Parts: sequence; structure tokens; C-alpha cells
Amino acid sequence: MSNNGSARKRQLPPTKSQQPTPSKVQALGEEEFFDEDVFLDETLIPENDESLILRDIEERQALASCLSQWARPPLSPAYVSQTQSIIFQQLDIDYVIGDSHRELLPNSFGPAAIIRIFGVTREGHSVCCNAHGFEPYFYISCLPGMGPDDISRLHKILEVRMRESNKNSKVPQFVRRIEMVQKRSIMYYQQQKSQPFLKIVVALPTMVASCRGILDRGIQIDGFGMKSFVTYESNVLFALRFMIDCNIVGGNWIEVPVGKYRKTTKLLSYCQLEFDCLYSELVSHCLEGEFSKMAPFRILSFDIECAGRKGHFPEPTHDPVIQVANIVTLQGENQPFIRNVMTLNSCSPIVGVDVMSFDTEREVLLAWRDLIREVDPDIIIGYNICKFDLPYLIERAQTLGIAEFPMLGRIRNSRVRVKDATFSSRQYGTRESKEVTVEGRVQFDLLQAMLRDYKLSSYSLNSVSAHFLSEQKEDVHHSIISDLQNGNSETRRRLAVYCLKDAYLPQRLLDKLMYIFNYVEMARVTGVPISFLLSRGQSIKVLSQLLRKAKQKDLVIPNVKQAGSEQGTYEGATVLEPRAGFYEKPIATLDFASLYPSIMMAYNLCYSSLVTPEDVRRLNLPPECVNKTPSGEIFVKSSLQKGILPEILEELLTARKRAKADLKEAKDPLEKAVLDGRQLALKISANSVYGFTGATVGQLPCLEISSSVTSYGRQMIEHTKKLVEDKFTILGGYEHNAEVIYGDTDSVMVQFGVPSVEEVMKLGREAAEYISGTFIKPIKLEFEKVYYPYLLISKKRYAGLFWTNPEKFDKMDTKGIETVRRDNCLLVKNLVNECLHKLLIDRDIPGAVQYVKNTISDLLMNRMDLSLLVITKGLTKTGDDYEVKAAHVELAERMRKRDAATAPNVGDRVPYVIIKAAKGAKAYEKSEDPIYVLENNIPIDPQYYLENQISKPLLRIFEPILKNASKELLHGSHTRSISISTPSNSGIMKFAKKQLSCIGCKALISKGTLCSHCKGREADLYCKTVSQVAAVEELFQNLWVQCQECQGSLHQDVLCTSRDCPIFYRRKKAQKDMAEAQKQLDRWDF
Amino acid sequence: MEIDGEKTILERKQSTYLSLDEKFEIRKETYGGQQYSQIYFTRLHLMRTLLYSLVPNLKPHLPVCKILGLEKGKECIIVGTLYKHMKLKPSILDEYSKTRSVTPLVKPHNFMHLDDHLILEDESGRVKLGGTMLLPSSYITGIVVALHGMETEAGDFFVQDVLDAGLAPQIEFPLESREDKYVVLVSGLSVGSSASNPLQFQLLVDHITGHLGDEKEQAIAAQIVHVIIAGSSVEIPRGLLNGQNLASKDQSRLSEPIKELDIMLTQIAASVPLDIMPGPNDPANYSLPQQPLNRCLFPGSAAYNTFRSCTNPHCFELDNIRFLGTSGQNIDDLQKYSEAKDKLEFMERTLRWRNLGPTAPNTLGCYPFIDRDPFLIDSCPHVYFAGNQDKYETSLLKGTEGQLVRLICIPKFSKTGVAVAFNMRNLECHTLSFGTQFDL
Repeated sequence: MSNNGSARKRQLPPTKSQQPTPSKVQALGEEEFFDEDVFLDETLIPENDESLILRDIEERQALASCLSQWARPPLSPAYVSQTQSIIFQQLDIDYVIGDSHRELLPNSFGPAAIIRIFGVTREGHSVCCNAHGFEPYFYISCLPGMGPDDISRLHKILEVRMRESNKNSKVPQFVRRIEMVQKRSIMYYQQQKSQPFLKIVVALPTMVASCRGILDRGIQIDGFGMKSFVTYESNVLFALRFMIDCNIVGGNWIEVPVGKYRKTTKLLSYCQLEFDCLYSELVSHCLEGEFSKMAPFRILSFDIECAGRKGHFPEPTHDPVIQVANIVTLQGENQPFIRNVMTLNSCSPIVGVDVMSFDTEREVLLAWRDLIREVDPDIIIGYNICKFDLPYLIERAQTLGIAEFPMLGRIRNSRVRVKDATFSSRQYGTRESKEVTVEGRVQFDLLQAMLRDYKLSSYSLNSVSAHFLSEQKEDVHHSIISDLQNGNSETRRRLAVYCLKDAYLPQRLLDKLMYIFNYVEMARVTGVPISFLLSRGQSIKVLSQLLRKAKQKDLVIPNVKQAGSEQGTYEGATVLEPRAGFYEKPIATLDFASLYPSIMMAYNLCYSSLVTPEDVRRLNLPPECVNKTPSGEIFVKSSLQKGILPEILEELLTARKRAKADLKEAKDPLEKAVLDGRQLALKISANSVYGFTGATVGQLPCLEISSSVTSYGRQMIEHTKKLVEDKFTILGGYEHNAEVIYGDTDSVMVQFGVPSVEEVMKLGREAAEYISGTFIKPIKLEFEKVYYPYLLISKKRYAGLFWTNPEKFDKMDTKGIETVRRDNCLLVKNLVNECLHKLLIDRDIPGAVQYVKNTISDLLMNRMDLSLLVITKGLTKTGDDYEVKAAHVELAERMRKRDAATAPNVGDRVPYVIIKAAKGAKAYEKSEDPIYVLENNIPIDPQYYLENQISKPLLRIFEPILKNASKELLHGSHTRSISISTPSNSGIMKFAKKQLSCIGCKALISKGTLCSHCKGREADLYCKTVSQVAAVEELFQNLWVQCQECQGSLHQDVLCTSRDCPIFYRRKKAQKDMAEAQKQLDRWDF
Repeated sequence: MEIDGEKTILERKQSTYLSLDEKFEIRKETYGGQQYSQIYFTRLHLMRTLLYSLVPNLKPHLPVCKILGLEKGKECIIVGTLYKHMKLKPSILDEYSKTRSVTPLVKPHNFMHLDDHLILEDESGRVKLGGTMLLPSSYITGIVVALHGMETEAGDFFVQDVLDAGLAPQIEFPLESREDKYVVLVSGLSVGSSASNPLQFQLLVDHITGHLGDEKEQAIAAQIVHVIIAGSSVEIPRGLLNGQNLASKDQSRLSEPIKELDIMLTQIAASVPLDIMPGPNDPANYSLPQQPLNRCLFPGSAAYNTFRSCTNPHCFELDNIRFLGTSGQNIDDLQKYSEAKDKLEFMERTLRWRNLGPTAPNTLGCYPFIDRDPFLIDSCPHVYFAGNQDKYETSLLKGTEGQLVRLICIPKFSKTGVAVAFNMRNLECHTLSFGTQFDL
């Protein structure tokens, strides 16, 4: 993980210590899915321990009564008497290994997988449904000529081999049965409708993998010799298999009719409704009407504070948990209904918050566990909880020897499991994480969601909330936390308020970004459990849809061994060479709507319509029935065999159209949110199908499809360019010759040469309609927007004003320009923004040039606000581990030597500025802590900023506009005068004697303010000094008042040290400048 | 001073002057890393003691609580500092907002919004205020109030009544000097600005010094015992002060208006005592209390002992009549963040809240005092003025304990040509208008 953790919370150093429950470390790659059998009895703690815990609870009656007011609503009599169907929205599905249910399944015996479905009813009751009878299975293709006897022989051999490789298992029968079924492989066009396949049903889910291994390696069958088998659908997770076979999609509503369920005799969970039923009795409801709504989930957002030691990041083996803040909200409501904070040692009350203070850490932890149990949240959210808060709490409890703490799940007496997991995916990169399994509760870590969905310059909670909620968050440095804790109840209250805010912000982000709606809808559309969406990559979503569709069509999906990079790469999308320049006439943009999905639909590109080169020769298909793609592949047309990818895409796009239409009709804001989430999910899903076929390390790569898609895409862009340039000409009766200036993936930019936006819009519409007519449906070219003016810099870099109606532009649109790069200083961003603003909106080229010159001059004259120059990089490992010396790492080392307590640790973001250093100093030696620079008047290196930071982005913008951009901007007369401040701590200054100088002319004087020559200019000089003082005073006031506002208190000092806040350094500087300014002013008091 | 007439010699009247500016002076205080919380704390502490002492008389049956001690549904009195949450309040963070708005921001003269709400804070915590008694539009951040009400189910505090501190006690109005004596108050001379008219100013000076009009008029001029210049006497071309280095030619342009002002002030100081206060446009510091304009700016007039460079706010006594006033920043700031029917009402409020600049330090620049709040009004003045207002307004405010206060809005002279003459005998005042034919 690179520099994106929050400032205070990071990955803990990997602990090799024993975990709460035995678990294996595994890689959770995009490409591989594993089932993990959890045996019910192994996870439970002995009964006598349980009674001990219960007694413990009784001892803390006061707490219990406090917590019980937050319990879920009591069950109605109809539920108690089981005379009502149970309808609930499921949130999480897992399975556990237990004994087969004797009454429901009289013919089975021995251990079996029991599917557990957790959910919430409309009334807000929690549900745990144990579905019995679903068995794990997979397919292999039947060898030609295999009869029933051969199959039973195969069964026996397999059973023996399985027993050999699973010696410890007590399962009476490994391979339950082998059935012959008629199916067809999804791969390649085949003329015959079906072939025999063998469906192998095994006892436990993990046996699928071990059985697959045996078959992969090959087994000896009498009469057939040594045979290895390709397995089909052997890599489908058991819970997903169940969902697919029962037609259940993530987050939908399930009904268990009255009489079909029975109350569990010995309750295993803390849910209000727990029952057993046969999996076949479940009724899965479509997402319509009532069943598209959301149940009132309970969402818990929490945050913990730990008292770290100076200079160390908190470690669970040493540092206590001192506070836990909790906010609980019902889905669909604006305000949380529970706000509380649990503190170690007394804490003054907080308005509107239940403060619960305890004397020992043990009590704090247990109180939190009891809260979880009483409140029974369905979803647990927070910021970095998966990597920090949850593992910390669990490891801390372990250090303290509180065995009964980690029972946070919904299963009685079952401890949570902690695993180290690596998540790697092409799209999101490799990330290490801890996986804490809390049974029955969905975890939603906002940090993970942010990392996944947004590209931000920083992912600290502070800057994320500044970005989305437009408010700065107070940041208390972890070195102060211990001091606050060791103070009195007032200082601890201060900390509690801070902690509460940290717990509340994730909830606000969740609401603001509609995460619940968007993710539930995504789960519904793609059919995977909600928990998969955050922890797994894109491909499982497509695979789930593919499997569902394949099941309808009696197709099976082969488990192809990873071809890896052998298959190589293919040519990507095309980019028409941009004609860089500053266009002062309107530019029309013609876009292909959902280009790749449309291509796949139009040309029937699918696994099942692909014809292999051998088959082309063998089958001798009539040419009118096939398409040869520009990349040379052959696909049959839909008249012969309709592909299932095009079918999935059609469904997705039709569903999206419907969702959008419903969205227009909808009035209720919650309904709107659902529909909007749905249409978004549908769009994303449709677009990810193409990527799925091209993922070489994915589930079912098929480069024939993906390369065909891009080749058609390229062809279409070229085709469009040609048509536009042929038709819209003076010869063709138009005023000007149209010119395509740029084209990328799915859009073409056309300059029609007409100066009015309205005219261009008319032409754009005409062109789109004309060209669309030449394509196969549903490929469609749309006219959407006009850029005017338009600054085209290079491939994927442009800026322009965006018009969708002829009266007024909508916004300024930029792409690929340094406005949000994370490793640039703020100066670059501000400068680029301001220049674009001046160029595009004010249409003032000289103004923009002047602005750049002024800024450069300010930089050289040392008048630049330091906070604009701060560069921030994350410290991911210590100095020794870096191969190349990096500026921020070197600085962290130096800072540690100065003061270990406040120096940045691994995982922190290190802010630095580049300072003037001795000649020939390496770049990495020139980094310095901004605060240190402020305090010691260290000169910054303006040349570095000029050359390495601002020059490139500036030249990029100005080169299409100015002839001698570099000369004009970077080497003009404004760069001649420079000013460098004198450091107050450098070696030579220790020997220098300070002497008074005349304020007017800097001549040395023995006393007073001015030299004899300047005496007459007193008034002038005084005016100048006092005006500087006034400016500093005004800044001082504005900055400090803002910080008071952020911290939300007038009577308390500002403690915040958030280095992510843009005004932090300014505030520091203002304080220092103020003291200096006053000294200057005092010299006039004669 | 005397004026040579052919027949009579008019004697200028005298009065005794006592400066009370000491509390507005920043002498030993330095910027040593202190923040603004101390000033709020001191203010709360002093005002709370005062308000607590009023409760037994006004609401004897009610208990007094801290914000943390609030209990749901129990009526009580709480005292704290108001904080007004304002949606439109400009923030320095806006400079860093990620996208520059396409349409340039129009700076409104008033930042109020319907969603604004009030919060009461003491050192223990904050509570949101509800109910219709306390209108967010008339209150602002920074004043200390006592509220009667109770906590609602939602955790808000429902306000049933507001207890005002009311006017501070007043020193007795002196009865012995029962003769007409005038104090001339003027502000916004703006020498050096395009709006200022040198002739108009000269007429004012000549009137004060008695060089204008017939004997009758001169007799009136002789009754002027004091002149107050309440801020914004010059206008320095701001364009020159953008942080860039100045050419020496420009540097002298900077002080030209001041030289001109000095010449005029010398004429006044030669005939009558003169107090000059710094204001928003003067070469003085930004934060209140603004410190006296440096004497080096006035080489001519500073030679007279009748010339006094004072602080803003300014407080003094003339013949035991107490004057208190500012160059107007405090009142202008209130207008930006709250509303009232006129400027006089704002002035009245500051007296009732017993705080000259309640919005300091929140929206009004202020020195970060550590152990005092110089803006607290512990003694009610007889004359309370605010400079640099758009128009002349005045009224006589009567307090519950017989206090009488003359409120004066001094208009900008450069815009209106109006100065105010205040009669110390009866607290009455009238305007002195100077028109020139150029205005026609």
C-alpha cells in the first residue's frame, strides 16, 4: 500500500503472535477463490465459560440496563407463534459445517454444509436462517462411451483417492454421488445442442477443490487408461453457488412461508428470529415494488483512541485502548439514534451523548462487546476499521487475556477470526490487509471504499471529509493523545468529542455518497453478496452474472488454468493523433454511447459464438452467418447462435433504461436513491464485461473477444473521422470544411469551423444522426456537448468549457492536467487552475501570462506562502528498506534524530519543502520539515520549484498558445530579482553579531530607527511598515478564527496539528510573523 | 485662542479633559503564541458573574445550570457565549476550495441566511438553541447572555426568555456646568481619495477655528471646546501596497495625503484641542483596539499639546461627561452578520450587551488579549458615537436606572460634508453641513 493510509491509523506491523482462532494465511487474489470450511463446534467456546461470561454481565447490571434500551424492537405475537411467513432482506450469506438436520433431511447423516443467511425484516428484527440440504458440486465432461458402470467405477476410485488426500476428515462419504447431465460448454460455437457431463456432488465445500486437483492430475480408469479431466464450475464459492442456484441476488428479499420453517431448538445465534428450513423452500423475491426497498438496517460507525507511547505508533501489545465512540443509525434516517462514547477513567458529560466511563480497560472492551451484542448492528462501518480498529481491539484483548472479548459476531460464543490477507487486482493494485470475519455482520470500511472508488490526493479522514463534506476535521497528533488521557476528566472529554467526530464522519460520508444504496444495488445487479464488493475485484461480479445466465441456458463454464501472460496482450483502443492547439471556435464532441457493450451486442461477440480456426475449416459455415472481425477472429451471427454476453449486456442496458425512466417518475427520495444506485450499478456492470474477457489472469479470459472489441472500436473511430471530413465540406454545401482534431476510445472531436455554439450543436446533431445510420444497431453515435474554447494539449490532456445548451456553459472540464496530482505542491494546482480560469473563462491570455509572471516573481522573491510549497509523500517503510534514497525518507530520518517523539513513522505522510542547500547537494538532501523551515527562516529553493514543479505543467498549457512560452514565462525580466532569507540557525550565523540597521536604507546605525539620511521619510516608511503589520494581523485573525470554527469551541485552545489542512502552515507562520511585525512596529515608538 | 475682531474679542471656552484610553492600549502585551480562547474565557467569566447577580431579582425561582448540568424538561437559567452558525460566513478555506466557481462571487453586504442558528457555549460544552424568543437575525457570535428555558427531547435548549445585562451603571451627569459647550465630531475625511473635497474640509476647519462667518457665527465657533476625528482621515492608495517593492517615487506618494492632513490638523490644533482616532483606512494596525496613529506622521500638528493621537475605541471625559466611541468598525461588522432597523439599534445593542465589539475576535479583528476584554463596558457613557457611517443619525437612550445616553452616528465627511456638533449642556446635537458650489 502506498502513501494512502490515514495519518493516525495504519497497518500494524505484522504480528507473528498467535491468532485468536487457528486460521490459515491465504492470498485472496482476484483470480482465485477459496472456500474455507468452518466447523461449528470448533469455533465455540466451552459451555462453562459461557455461564462465566453471563455472570460477568449480571455483575454489570447498570451497564446492561443502559444498553438494553437500544435493543431491537420486540417480536410480535405472530412471529413468536410462528404463524407468519418470515420475509427479510438478506445482507450476508455464509455457511458452516454441522451435522445434517435429522428432521428436515432424514436420509442424510454426517457433517454437511449449512447455509446461513443473515438479514433484517421490515420491522427491524434480525434474522438468521439456516438453510439445509444444499450440496457442493461441480462438473466434468463425460468421456465418450462412458456408461453407468464406468461412472460408478469412477465414483469408487474418486472416493478412494479423496480418502487418501483427506486423512483427517471424519466424513463417512466424500463423493456423495455422480450424475450424468446434458450440458454444453460455454466455449466456442458448437453445432450440437448438448453433450453428456458428469455432475460430481461432494460432501463438503472444500472437497470441491481437492477433488478438482485429483481430476486435474488425472486418474486411472479401467478401460479408459490414465485420464485427466477439465473441470467445470469448480471454482465457484459455495455461498455464491447457492445464491445462483436459488436465484438469490445480493441484498434481495427472501421469504420463508409459514409452516416451512421450524424454530431452532438450540439457538446458535443472537438473532431474534433463528430457524431451520430446507433450501428449496426459500422464495427469492424480484426487486420490484415493496421488494426494491431497504430494510431498516442498523449501521454502527465506531472509532477507537489508543494512548501511544511517545515516538511510537500504538501497538496492541503495549498501548491501551482508552476510548471507543459509537454512532448507530437506522438505514433511511437522517440522525443517529445512539451516540455514545466509552472511556477509560472519568470523562465529563457531553450534550446529547451517553458517556460511559470505566476504571479498567477490560471493562471498556467488554462494554463495547456488550454494546455490539445488544445493539446488534447489521453493518459495521468506520474509517480504516478493517486494518486498524478491529484488529487492534482483538489483539489488545488477547494481550490483556480477555478470552471472552472477541465474540462480536451473531453466532453465540463464536470468536471472530483474524486473517492476514493480500488483495491483488490489476485495477486496484496489491494491498495487504487484515481480514476480520465477524459472522453475520457486514463490514464496510470507508477507507477501502475511498481507495477503490476515488482518486484523491490524500486519503486521510481529514482530507476526505474536506473533499466530500467541505469541512476540515480537527486533527490531534497522536503524541498529544496520551497527555489528554492523563489529564483530568475535562481533557478526556476533549478527546471524547474528537473521537465521536471521527466516528460520525464515516456515517456522514456513507450518507453523502449514498454508499448503502449504491452497494446494495450493485450486489443486486451483479448477484454477489455485499461483502464481496469491497473485498474482491471486478471479475467475480461478471462471473456471477455469467454463471447465472449459463445456468438458464444449460451451459457450463470451464475452469481454465491460468494462461498467464502466455496469451500476450492485444492492441488497445485507438487515439487519433491530436492536433494540439488552442481552439477559439466551438468544438463538437461526438460520443459513442456505451461503445464496447454496443459492439459486443452488434457483432454477437461471445465465448459461445466464437469459432475456432479448426472449426472454421471443419464446419464450413456460410459466410452470411459469420462475421470476421478486423482482428481476424470469426464469430457466428446471432441468427445462428445468440451469444450470452450480448444477452447479459442487453438485459443490463434495458434494465438501466427502465431504472432511469423510473427514476424520472419517482418522488420519494429514498426510492430515488435506490433507482439511481441501480442505474449506476447497471452501467458499471455493462462496462466491466469487456474487461472481464480481457483480464489475462482472470476467471475466463478470451482475448479473441476483447481484441475484436477494440479492433471494431478503432475501425469506428476511423470511420467516423472519414465520414465527417467527407460530408461536412464546402463542396458538400457547408460553410466550412469540418476537421477532426482529436479522437479517443469512444469520442471524436470535430471542429466544424462555425463560430456560434448553437450552429455547431445543430451540425453535431446532424453528424451524429447521419453517422449512426451507417452502423449496425445498437451502436450509436451521440452528440452531447460542445467545448468552447478548447485547449488541446496532447493525448488525454485537454481543458475546455463544457456547453450542453447554447446559452450558457455548464462547467470547466479538464482532463489529465495537474489539478489533482498528489505529488505536486498546492502551488502547481492553484497556478494551473487560475491560468485555465483566465484563459478559458475570462479569455484573457495576457492576464494569464501576467499572473504566471507575478507568481514566479513572488516565488523568487521569497514572498510565497509556504503551505503552497509543501509536498507530501507517504512513508511506507523505513529508510534502510528503500533502495533509492528519497527526499521524504531522508527527512524522516533526520527528524527522528532531532526529536523521536514527533518524527513521522512508517505509514505517516511526510510533508516537506525543498530548501536551498550547499552546491551539488543531492535532491534528497534538500528536503526539510516545513515547520522547521518556518521557525528557522531557512530559505527555500525557488529554482527547484520553478524547474521541477511548475515549469512542465505551465509549458504544457501555454505551448499551444504562446510562441516562445518557455522564454516568455520562465526566463523573462520578472525572474531577474531574487531574494533569499537568511537562516537563523546556520553555522555562520552563530558568529554573526546582530546590529541595528536603518529601516529605510538598511544602513547600520547605533540607535534609533532611521539613519540621518532617511529622517525626512519617516512618514513614508512608517506607512509601509504599518500596512504590512495590518495585513499580517488580518491574516492572523482570519486563520485562528477559522481553526476555532473547525474545532467547534470558542473557549478552548486550538490543538489541531493537521498537516493536511491547507491553513495549518499559514496559521503557524502568521503567529510567527505577528511577533516579528510587532517588534518592527515597536521600533517606531520613540 | 482668540480671534482678532474689530469690536469684541471672543474667548474660546475651555473644558477639562481626562483620557480613559488606558485600557485600549497595548503596551507590554506581545504575540507569544496565545490564541483567542482566552478573551472569550475572560468575557464569559466577567459577564457571568454579572448575570448571575441579576438572576435572583429577575427569576428568583429558577435554578442556574451549566450546559452540562442540563436535564431534559427541567426549567433553568444557563449563561454562556453565543455562537451563531452561519452558512454564508466567508471562510479563509474557500481560497483553497478545489474548484473555482465559474461565476465570480458577488460579495454580499450581509452574510445572513435562513438556516443560521444559534448555539450557546460555556467552558463545559455547547447546546443548540431553539424556540422563537431568540432570533438568530438579531444576535451574533461572541455575546454573553443568560437564557431561561429547558432542554428538549432532541437535546436542544428551548429558550423561553432572554435576560439582558442591560445598560451599565452611569456616572452622574454633572449639573454645575450649565452653559453651551460644543464638541465637534467628524469622521471619514478621506484626504487623498477621489471623493474628498479639499474646499469642504477647509470650510470645516475655518468654521471650527472661527475664521468663517459673521460675529454670531464666530460666537458659536468660540463655544467649540473639542474636536474628535473618528477615523478614516486619509485614504492611502491601496494599489501601492501589494507587497511588491516600491519605487521611491511611489513611496512618497504614499504619504502625500498624510502631509495634507497634517497641514489642516495643524490649523485646528492651533485653536482647539483635537483628538484623532485611527480608523479602517488609516495608516494604523488592523486589529482593534487600534493603537494611536504614530506622531511621526504629523510633524506639524504633533508639536501642539492640544493634539492628541488616541486609540480606537476611544474613551474620555470632558467636564465629567463621559464619551465613548469607535471609528465604526464594530457597528459595520454587526451589520454584516445581523440585522436591525437602523445603525442606532446596533449601537444600542452593544450597550445592552455591555460589549463594545462583541464580534471581536470572531469577525472583527482583535488583539489576542490574555487576561482582559477591553471591549466590556463597565460604565455607561453619556455620549456614544460611531464614525464612518453612511448618514447622520442620533437618539437619546434612556436606561432603566435613569441612565441617559446620546447615541450618534457620525457620517462620512467626504461623502456628505456633514460634521456633528454636540452640546454638552443638554446632550443635544445638530449637524454642521458644508456645501461647496462644486457639488451643484
